[in-house]
Amino acid sequence: MNALHLMAELIFMPLIAFIVGMMMVLMMRKISARLQRRIGPPFFQPLYDIVKLYGKDTQISHGLIHDIGIIMAVGGYIGAEILLPVPGMEGIAAKGGVITLSYFLMIPSLGMALGVGQCANPNGSIGISRALTAMLAYDIPFILVVFGAAWHYQSTSLIGMIEYQQVHQWGIVEMPLLAIAGLFALQGMLGKQPFEIYIAPAEIATGPMVEMSGKYMGGLFVMQTFQLYTAGVLYASLFLGGGTSFLTLLPKAFLVVALPMSIAFMFPRYKTEDVIRILWKWPVMLGLISLAFIL
Amino acid sequence: MTLLDHLFIVVFSCLIAISVVRNLPIVDKLAPVLYGLILIMLVRMASVAYGGDAYLSSFSLDLLGFKMHWQFTALSWYFAIITLVAALASAVFMSGDWGRQYREGGGNYGMLQLALIVNVFSMILLLGSGDLLSLFIGWEFVSWASFLMMVLSPSKLAKKSAVKYIVYAMTGAMALMVAIVMIYAVNDSLEFEQISIVFAQMSGSSQVALVLLLFVAFAIKMGLLPFHLWQAVAYAETPGPGAAFLGAISSRMGMFTIVLVIVQFIGLGGLKSVGTSFANMQTLLAWVAALTTIIPTYIALQQHDAKRLLAWHGVGQGGYMLLGIIMFDSIGSAGGLMHVLNHASYQAALFMTVVAVMYRTGTSDLNKLGGLVTQMPLTFLVMLIGIIGLAGLPPMNGFVSKWLVYRSLLVNGQPLLFVAAVLGTLGTILSVYKLIHNTFLGQLRLEHQNVREVPWSMLVPMLGLSVIVFITGFMPGLILPWIASVQESVGLPVIAHHLGGIEYAKGGLDMIWVSGILFYGFGVGALIFYFLGGKSKRVHQYDNYAGGHFLTSDVRYHYSNNFYPGLMHLIGTWYRGSFQWLENSIVSVMSFFSVFFENIYRAKQPVMLLLIGVVLALLALYRNLGVGA
Repeated sequence: MNALHLMAELIFMPLIAFIVGMMMVLMMRKISARLQRRIGPPFFQPLYDIVKLYGKDTQISHGLIHDIGIIMAVGGYIGAEILLPVPGMEGIAAKGGVITLSYFLMIPSLGMALGVGQCANPNGSIGISRALTAMLAYDIPFILVVFGAAWHYQSTSLIGMIEYQQVHQWGIVEMPLLAIAGLFALQGMLGKQPFEIYIAPAEIATGPMVEMSGKYMGGLFVMQTFQLYTAGVLYASLFLGGGTSFLTLLPKAFLVVALPMSIAFMFPRYKTEDVIRILWKWPVMLGLISLAFIL
Repeated sequence: MTLLDHLFIVVFSCLIAISVVRNLPIVDKLAPVLYGLILIMLVRMASVAYGGDAYLSSFSLDLLGFKMHWQFTALSWYFAIITLVAALASAVFMSGDWGRQYREGGGNYGMLQLALIVNVFSMILLLGSGDLLSLFIGWEFVSWASFLMMVLSPSKLAKKSAVKYIVYAMTGAMALMVAIVMIYAVNDSLEFEQISIVFAQMSGSSQVALVLLLFVAFAIKMGLLPFHLWQAVAYAETPGPGAAFLGAISSRMGMFTIVLVIVQFIGLGGLKSVGTSFANMQTLLAWVAALTTIIPTYIALQQHDAKRLLAWHGVGQGGYMLLGIIMFDSIGSAGGLMHVLNHASYQAALFMTVVAVMYRTGTSDLNKLGGLVTQMPLTFLVMLIGIIGLAGLPPMNGFVSKWLVYRSLLVNGQPLLFVAAVLGTLGTILSVYKLIHNTFLGQLRLEHQNVREVPWSMLVPMLGLSVIVFITGFMPGLILPWIASVQESVGLPVIAHHLGGIEYAKGGLDMIWVSGILFYGFGVGALIFYFLGGKSKRVHQYDNYAGGHFLTSDVRYHYSNNFYPGLMHLIGTWYRGSFQWLENSIVSVMSFFSVFFENIYRAKQPVMLLLIGVVLALLALYRNLGVGA
């Protein structure tokens, strides 16, 4: 890999993630609008929102850690995208692998948690407490899924996993139960209903976002675009064969993200302990049964 | 005279020097210099950690017809260097203002200094042991040295937990002695090599007994389940830097002996031959390790005292070390061994931050702190680096060793152990966020408005340790040659490494790239934040959304108590149920023995104790002679 190529990847991998992520946000809003018989926002609305938030006059800072938290939240994802291989661009995926990626993805959450903590708002702290509890809940099935996939493909590198699926069959065909468990974990990971315990506007005033204004909120918005993109592409790479070009990869990624969105709006919100209970029961059970077949 | 002789002489002279001057003001200046001196001696022996030959002592001691000798292998050196760095950091930490405050508070500062050097001396003695007898003597020294340090705190609880510890430790020592007698009985030799020879000659039930006795002895020191109950309280009650030192390395002497005796001389084949093919000794030990990662971690999550919380995590992290080494492959054992150093570095730093907070505010109660980041920013930074290490997230060193352990579990096809390890890590993340949130973030209390940063004598060791946490995470290749030498010296497969991490087919790790990308991301994030956004305005902490109310300083609203109510609502019932039942039953059994032993101690009849030891030894001797003949 020459230096120029790497430089290009350092810029384009996060940039593509950001643009595709914004489209996913748009899709999310469109789905919810159609379900509620509205038309929904125009194509560039996510971009307008981000520009508006970053350009606002009122920008409230509660101290340096508040700022650093937002930088870590956005910056951590920018780094993570370079570990996530896409067609034509492998970044540094060969130097880390999927275990590194899954721990890397906790850095932005930790950053956000630090920033929110510095805000000194109990609603925010409760939100973080719930978000971390939710992470404990969905990461157990998620890690089972990663284990099963890595064992089945005999590789911890996403590149190796995609190559295997290109030669053989897609993961979802060979490991259907594990793929379902993965979808379950995905719903929790994206924090969508019925697992959106840490936003909970009516209970804790949107939790982590309660003291965020202007570019702080904008930072969280950008973080969400990255989060949707990462979840979609990661799942597509693990189970849907990845893609040889963006034309084959992106439809899969959009489909993966659309699924939890469509389900989300049919559910209310669980209690925190019920989130753990349900995520530790069904997807873990599916995952274990699936592992029994794989091993 | 070999270098090892020099080392022993230097350490012993340091012990004498500190015990002489311990009550004079000069001890503050002298102690760090002396630890530095010992460290230099160790650095002179560094060739052993890069594949050189082990150092032997030129002298030996004849005791009751047994010949005792000493040696320093790559394994000994690795543990010794960690010990000395932890001791040096603790000595610097306590040498200035902390020591003054401790003396003014009525603490016996001279004894604390003495306890530290006695600990270092006894650990070097243990690490240098060359046969089973010198191992046993070193083992006893280490146990009593820790006791000396624990018993220093004036609190009643500290005394009680120290006594509890020493009873545990004596039980372990008895187990070790019986095991040694079992080995000796067969071939009349106390050399280490005899262990594997004797083990091969033994019958199945004697093999089980030997492995269990050895493991119980070492597990007690390391605080592995179900012998973990003494450790957290005892360490948490030890005064300031003493807790940092003990928490960093003391209980890892158990890990050292596990590697030295069980891994090296009984080995994977030995462990697998004991028991059935479905559940052999390796499986048992792996599950002991897995439960040790989970249960103490979730007990830590419930603590509201910062030192206890850290001490419980210290117990839990021991599980990762055993889990790694018990896999017996190159990456797993490297992860387990590396975690000893990594854990020592961030655990010492974390304990010091808590002691620093106590120094300024007088409390380590997580419900009585908050918002200190504006007052003590550097201490906050050290704690942040420390908790990222403890939680095992990139780019700190804890990530590297845990990654190696995960990778090994994955390669060996152990999904349940893998989930157990991850469950431990997730619990750790929850718990350490609570630690930093309740101490440094959120509402600053009125009484802490004038708190200042701690003095440099305390900051320097903390920052130094956090530099180690970062550098060894960024470039694990600095440590990996030592690990490879240890693996070679104890007969484990050797890991293939480079400066950034490890080479491994089907997915390696290069931390230089991973950390580099992380900081690149942070850089871009900072550019976006500072140059693309509007200018932000700094507001007071009470300028905050409170649902239409106004916040004032007399209202305490910091969300700290029962930080994870949803989780506790669910798993709290498990604590009350199975965990607590399990703990209570262990406590009952243990306290039965404690009472028994305590009464023996109270009765001041060491003769009784000796009698019991002799009877047990004779019993083992008799049985083995029978078996051997």
